[in-house]
Amino acid sequence: MSLTRRRAIQLALSAGALLATEAACGKTNKGTTDSGGTKNTTLIVENSFDLTTADPGRVYEVTGGMVAHAMYEPLLTFAGGDVSKPVPLLAKSFEASADGKVLTLKLDETAKFSDGSAVTADDVVFSFNRVKNVKGNPSFLLDGVTVTASDPQTVVLTSAKANPALPYLLPTPALGIVNSKVAKAQGAVDAEGADKSDKAEAWFNANSAGSGPYTLQSFSTTTEVVLVANDKYWGTKPVYTKIVVRNVTNSVQKLDVVKDTSQLALDLSPDQAKDLGAAVTVDRASTTTTFFLFTNMNPAISPVTSNPKFQEAVRYGLDYAGIMSLAGEGAVQAPGMVPDKLLGALAAGDSLKRDLDRAKAALAASGYSGQEIPMEYPSDITKNGIDFGVLAQKVQAGLTEVGIKVKLSPAPVATALPNYRDGKEKLGLWLWGADYPDPSDYLAFLPGGLVGLRAGWKAGTSPDLTAIGDQAAIETDATKRASLYQDMQRKLNEVGPFMPLFQSAQISVMAKSVSNFVYNAVWTVDFGALK
Amino acid sequence: MRNVLTWRPRPYLKFVLVRLGALVLLAVGITLVSFILTNLIPGDPAAANLGQRALSDPAIVAAFRHQHGLDQPLPVQYGKYLAGLLHGDFGTSQRSNRPVSDELAEYVPATLELAITAVVVSLVVGVGLGILAATRRNSWLDQLLRVVSLAGVSMPTFWLALAAFFVLFYKLGILPGGGRLDPGLDPPPHVTGLYTVDSLLAGQWDIFGNAVFHLIMPALVLAAYTVGLLTRFTRASMLEVLGNDYIRTAHAKGLPGRTIVFRHVLRPALVPILTVAGLAFGSLLSGTVLVEQIFSWNGIGQYAYQSALNLDLPAIMGVSLVVAVIYVTVNFVVDLLYGVVDPRVRLQ
Repeated sequence: MSLTRRRAIQLALSAGALLATEAACGKTNKGTTDSGGTKNTTLIVENSFDLTTADPGRVYEVTGGMVAHAMYEPLLTFAGGDVSKPVPLLAKSFEASADGKVLTLKLDETAKFSDGSAVTADDVVFSFNRVKNVKGNPSFLLDGVTVTASDPQTVVLTSAKANPALPYLLPTPALGIVNSKVAKAQGAVDAEGADKSDKAEAWFNANSAGSGPYTLQSFSTTTEVVLVANDKYWGTKPVYTKIVVRNVTNSVQKLDVVKDTSQLALDLSPDQAKDLGAAVTVDRASTTTTFFLFTNMNPAISPVTSNPKFQEAVRYGLDYAGIMSLAGEGAVQAPGMVPDKLLGALAAGDSLKRDLDRAKAALAASGYSGQEIPMEYPSDITKNGIDFGVLAQKVQAGLTEVGIKVKLSPAPVATALPNYRDGKEKLGLWLWGADYPDPSDYLAFLPGGLVGLRAGWKAGTSPDLTAIGDQAAIETDATKRASLYQDMQRKLNEVGPFMPLFQSAQISVMAKSVSNFVYNAVWTVDFGALK
Repeated sequence: MRNVLTWRPRPYLKFVLVRLGALVLLAVGITLVSFILTNLIPGDPAAANLGQRALSDPAIVAAFRHQHGLDQPLPVQYGKYLAGLLHGDFGTSQRSNRPVSDELAEYVPATLELAITAVVVSLVVGVGLGILAATRRNSWLDQLLRVVSLAGVSMPTFWLALAAFFVLFYKLGILPGGGRLDPGLDPPPHVTGLYTVDSLLAGQWDIFGNAVFHLIMPALVLAAYTVGLLTRFTRASMLEVLGNDYIRTAHAKGLPGRTIVFRHVLRPALVPILTVAGLAFGSLLSGTVLVEQIFSWNGIGQYAYQSALNLDLPAIMGVSLVVAVIYVTVNFVVDLLYGVVDPRVRLQ
């Protein structure tokens, strides 16, 4: 039978219509409420991925923490967005010894993994030892901590020295508890040498074995992660049966969420979040990411920037108000390095203020002769919509008014990091995201500390400050701890090489159908709590 | 019986064998260049892949270097990589700890699906418009097509992608946004990795329709440059042939215009068009990096971008190798097609 041209056109049009219909029918539910009052199945979340793994023993990045938190529950957690007080989760109670060296936790007997088996102290011991021994990014969290099970429901964490920060570390996603029997069967190892013998990461990138409200359906580090509700979840059942977390650039996130193609966008900049219309809700919260500038304290690296008077000129010459206008709504000026959500943070009134006269006088006293000072920063990082390049220009403009010539020296983070790490930058513009929500994380900024050394600040160069830090690290009384960390930051603001600029804003935009969203600085969003 | 000692490969076969040999040498060369360039960059894979705390722990850094063979001399690292390649082992990604071959198998089909669609669109539309412009030389249609093709080759791909996304998805809503399928739809069972093909094989018409709809916008954006290029080259090439005496003779013989265009003009005009099409495939592959980023397309463009940010050497080398082999293979096929299109090439 021959096919006439007209018939061929008819067939082609029919096929096109069929495709259009099929494509339309293939669209998924988008988090709306159906006539029965229950949520439809799928929630689409969009994020700019920094994902490398779904293995809870190795997870460390922001996207990874968000995903892992939905699958692996920790012993302690934070309620909503309040990261200043750990509360029970898998552990129904916890108690620290008077000397701060022993933390005893009682497990909740009703806690179950996604296969229905009970969460035991052995699972905790396995999970924690695995985190330590695979020598991954989060291994440092348990440095100097020994974990034992005194009975099937009791876990004892013993630290070599007083460790008042430990309860604040336990809610981090990397310390989520895995089902040890399942993990071992897939090649997971918790003994020393696990960095070579553990073979379970590939399995964890395709499956999950936790007690959280969701389990892993699929995982891609570049495209999307799909989570499905854990039908054996021991807590309050999650509302959404499927969560699709997609890797999308922030400009597209904006269009998608307004169009209701997605229901939650997590990476819009403060500018992008303006005038989005009534179809969406915008949540603005300050993060625990602090942007800061430093001047190198090592005279061998720079006799100019190591001069205290030059540092004073920079400190009081920065255009903090201008920088804050760049940081946008929701961001807060950082009065010290410890973010405002954490214990020991300084009050907003302690923030540095611009004093051009003082800055110019200090610059004159420093003997600065007008040479260009290179300022290094990572050119390919945009955090919470803040582009380092734009921020660097703002810093440069402010210091130019004082009379300091700053030469912008951007580099991709992979090439900028070695110089920063080796303490070779004269002026550096970087950020620090809290590894865990406790001020002890910021001891790194003291002389001889991790970041202190990057600013050329050697141990022993400020004994007063070091003494305050040492005392703060072991102080177990919360009020005294807070006071010591505040003292530490005031002193840092006086004599240190760091100029805290601002805590960036987390802008979360969601469809009106989504409720109960609370930004958490540790895991960004708790999918299990969304309604 | 043919005397083995006196047998010589036919010129065309010899040409094919030589080109295949060159392809292998080129692949090795690409790995060497990628390896040297990546190691020349003043960056440290450990710094790029480890967190700040882990980076300050010598034991963790040492474990990372040992795991990825970075504690060995560079020639040894390269030698081991080549030895692995012979067994189909592309190494392990420093970023994800997964075999690079697994990751390439996951990402390459997505890019191929996009690139092949864009190539088909480019050839059909670009050559078609070029023929139209040439046969209606200096008409208003020719003028219009010149402007359109100029726009195609001039517009930056990332801008066009964003503009198309904004207009076709956000404003008009006639095409879907990013991704290869609507969020929440499960991909078809894996056979080729091309969702359109796999969904057809599985008889999943809804997935097929959805995959085609998702392909349209990124493929059109990706094809815009090559469509413009091919339109201009086809027009120029056709006009050159149209001026020959034998075309005038064909007209004088009373042959229909369509026969003259497709049999006597297009065929000799195809050789330069094929050359441009082969070269344009390279720009099309490089264009996938931006297009995939904007359309959330999980292909090697996104993979290459992430790998470069993390100085993930095995992944960078894997992507370089695959792209180079695809590019060289396409141009090899183009060379072979010269012989098909123009018998004089076969005789030479």
